Amino acid sequence: MPRQGQSVESCILTEWKVQPGDTVAEGDVLAVIETDKASFDLESTAAGTVIELFWEADDDVPVLANVLAIGDEGENVDEFRPAGSGETTAPIAEPDSASSAVPAAQSTAQPTADAAPVAAPVSSGAPSAGVSPRARKKAIRTGVDAEILVGTGPGGRVIERDVDAFLAGTPRLSATARIRAQQDGLEAPARGSGLAGMALASDMRQPGAIDGADVEPVKGIRKLIADRMMQSLQGTAQLTLHSSFDATACQAMRKKRVADGESKVSINDLIAKAILSALKIHPEMNAHFLGNRLAVFHEVHLGIAVDSPRGLMVPVVEDASKMSLEMLSAEIKKKAIACREGTIQPDELSGGTFTLTNLGMLGVENFTPVLNPPEIAILGVGGISVKPKRLENGEVSFVDQISLSLTIDHQAIDGAPAARFLQTFVNHLENHPGEDPSTIEGEE
Amino acid sequence: MKYDFAVIGAGPAGYVAAKKAASAGLKVVMVEKKKLGGVCLNEGCVPSKTLLQAAKTYHHAKHGSIFGVEAGSLSFDFGKAHAHKNSVMDRMRDGIAGLMKKNKVEVIEGEAKLVKGGFSVNGESHEAENILLCTGSSPSIPPIPGIEADHIVDSTGILDNEQLPESLVIVGGGVIGCEFACVYASVGVPVTVLEAMPEICPNLDPEIAAILRKELENKGVTFLLGAKVEKFEGKSVSYNLEGESKEIESDLVLVATGRKPNVSGLGLEDIGLDFDPRGGVKVDPRGATNLPGVWAAGDITGQAWLAHAASRMAEVVVHNITGQKDQMRHDTMPAVVYTSPEVAVVGLTKEEAVDRGFKVKTGKIPMAINARYIAENPGEQGMCKVVLDADTNRLLGVHMVGGACSEMIFGAVAMLETELREEEIEEIVFPHPTTSEIMKDVFMAVR
Repeated sequence: MPRQGQSVESCILTEWKVQPGDTVAEGDVLAVIETDKASFDLESTAAGTVIELFWEADDDVPVLANVLAIGDEGENVDEFRPAGSGETTAPIAEPDSASSAVPAAQSTAQPTADAAPVAAPVSSGAPSAGVSPRARKKAIRTGVDAEILVGTGPGGRVIERDVDAFLAGTPRLSATARIRAQQDGLEAPARGSGLAGMALASDMRQPGAIDGADVEPVKGIRKLIADRMMQSLQGTAQLTLHSSFDATACQAMRKKRVADGESKVSINDLIAKAILSALKIHPEMNAHFLGNRLAVFHEVHLGIAVDSPRGLMVPVVEDASKMSLEMLSAEIKKKAIACREGTIQPDELSGGTFTLTNLGMLGVENFTPVLNPPEIAILGVGGISVKPKRLENGEVSFVDQISLSLTIDHQAIDGAPAARFLQTFVNHLENHPGEDPSTIEGEE
Repeated sequence: MKYDFAVIGAGPAGYVAAKKAASAGLKVVMVEKKKLGGVCLNEGCVPSKTLLQAAKTYHHAKHGSIFGVEAGSLSFDFGKAHAHKNSVMDRMRDGIAGLMKKNKVEVIEGEAKLVKGGFSVNGESHEAENILLCTGSSPSIPPIPGIEADHIVDSTGILDNEQLPESLVIVGGGVIGCEFACVYASVGVPVTVLEAMPEICPNLDPEIAAILRKELENKGVTFLLGAKVEKFEGKSVSYNLEGESKEIESDLVLVATGRKPNVSGLGLEDIGLDFDPRGGVKVDPRGATNLPGVWAAGDITGQAWLAHAASRMAEVVVHNITGQKDQMRHDTMPAVVYTSPEVAVVGLTKEEAVDRGFKVKTGKIPMAINARYIAENPGEQGMCKVVLDADTNRLLGVHMVGGACSEMIFGAVAMLETELREEEIEEIVFPHPTTSEIMKDVFMAVR
């Protein structure tokens, strides 16, 4: 299990992509793993036959522990099996065969990798906590199979109330439906379609199923996003300020760059640059709110929200405040591609100090971005719309306007300073797009 | 007037729904343009079964010698059989009228027309919160030249025919055709059945249908399979058999080529009701149409074509109106052909089960292994066949021909409704000696 960033001590192995007996090449995806920030493909560092999987899906695997053994079919892999892993997958190896298998996915940079794992894995294959005598008596009397019930007693023990709940909440099962419940682990709906609501075989469904819906477990990156969004909305005091800017200067600047033979930059790049410029003047917005401490950062590490096939990812452009427009543009592009291709590294997904999120290309006019704590500000960018504007000569003209939504953590900063940040930001984009703050005179 | 529930049609769907809704406390009206009891009581099940029993009695008397019963001079008075039939119908109609009165269902004689929020009948408009359409079906008459002739009748017309013909030609070898073939052949009338398909009763398991055909042939019915009727001229019926045009003479012709839902004259198109592609009123498994408060049950939906199915559909509708969840389960609907021998089936045939994706195993056993059966039905063939899901051993279908098997099919219905498996059925005790034991013994033949 590779180390995913400096602070990560274990990763959840969410899904195996190989089975014992499969032949794999170097670089093949072995499993999907996830940290508290993102999920990743675990690639093979060796070629050969998968001999044994040392963990089960959903186990919490300590970093640097062996996850599986790859070698020649029939090799003994006992010495590579980490302590604490569940011996849940039958090895195809003969127990007495020669031992030359190589553990894969072992970090060669960490010679201490073979040390005992730091945490005991959580095995979903743990033996059941049993059935209480009262529950068993009642189950036998009422014809319920207590072994298939989900226990709510200590450690998941099936107790009398579980039998009662089962009797109250489920219909009578037809003879065939009962067999399906036992053999396939299926559950009856509250009311079946048979005689007086009897559950028929065709009514039986996967536990947790909902009528008229496809139900999937929430796992992997979706679960991470869900947890972090709830943390954000429950743990911060979010206030969103709405504004917009005249995009005329930005569009002219982009045209001029093309005319001058310079590299192309997007409006989004210019917006990112303007954030950096405005943060130089309002550094209090470039901060982490840590409850009893407020950390104001010297450099801006700019998070960019990216819509990837796996879900929302926020790669961070480190030291963005030191970059030229061209560098920044290239860096943003690189990170976004890495996210979409799934090659982004965990350390690239943390450490942001301010986040930019843009839904303008999807036709969104305005939205309220959700903070990425402990950051205290996130700027949302909407689409271009044509709006009237009074020009300096007093006439009204139509211009392209881009809407802005700045969400701040009101715990850390007030509305007025945030509004002043927005003013600086808008002024930069309308008058000096793409320029470094040092080259702008008369600002604030 | 304003009613909670209006029932249009007083057949086996209508009167069952009216009684059930009234006893649930609803203010109910039932409208009927002809006679209480619908097709079932007046033109179908009840009169045909009375005549079938008359024919069976004659047949038993005539063929009683194997039991040592010799009838000297035997005669058949068809007029008397009709008189009994009519008295049975009168009694049943009186029964329904009494039932409606007892349950305070208002019965209106007349032709109802649906309007928004209610219906009109005899020039008066009424409101109804829920309306059940159950106007039944009528014989469907194919457009064959000459079919208007007086001696050519449908299943309604033949029930009024009190003279035994010299011979009878039946167009259509379905359930209705077979039942009338059995009546007339049993009392000595030469019967010829012209069936366009390669086997009679195409909805039945083919082996069961073949046994029924052979038994009816033993009674004197001639089946011409694959025969397509081309025209009627005088007393002659022209048909095409294997590319050759042939003729047959008969003084009575029964056209029994199916039935069609009674959907016209009810104003259904005007209120925007949806129909299924075959012309029936489209309903969901609860009997609900596309219009809120408008429900349908029985033959008008084009489903099942069975009186007991109509009654059950009506019951489902009333349950849903009165806040009780219920739905149709057509897979467990039994079907019977009341010939001698009878055919009784429920559930899937092997072919249907395979189509549904089941891994199927079957078992079949001749009725001739059953003591009671051979004692009572000497020389008559019969069969019981079961279809099972090989994965769970669940019983999927039961198909029987022989004796009075209609009286025991309900046992198979209960097994199917509760999805019993071979293991459970084997523990059920069947009384000995009964023909029903065949339902236990058939599992010995499952593979």
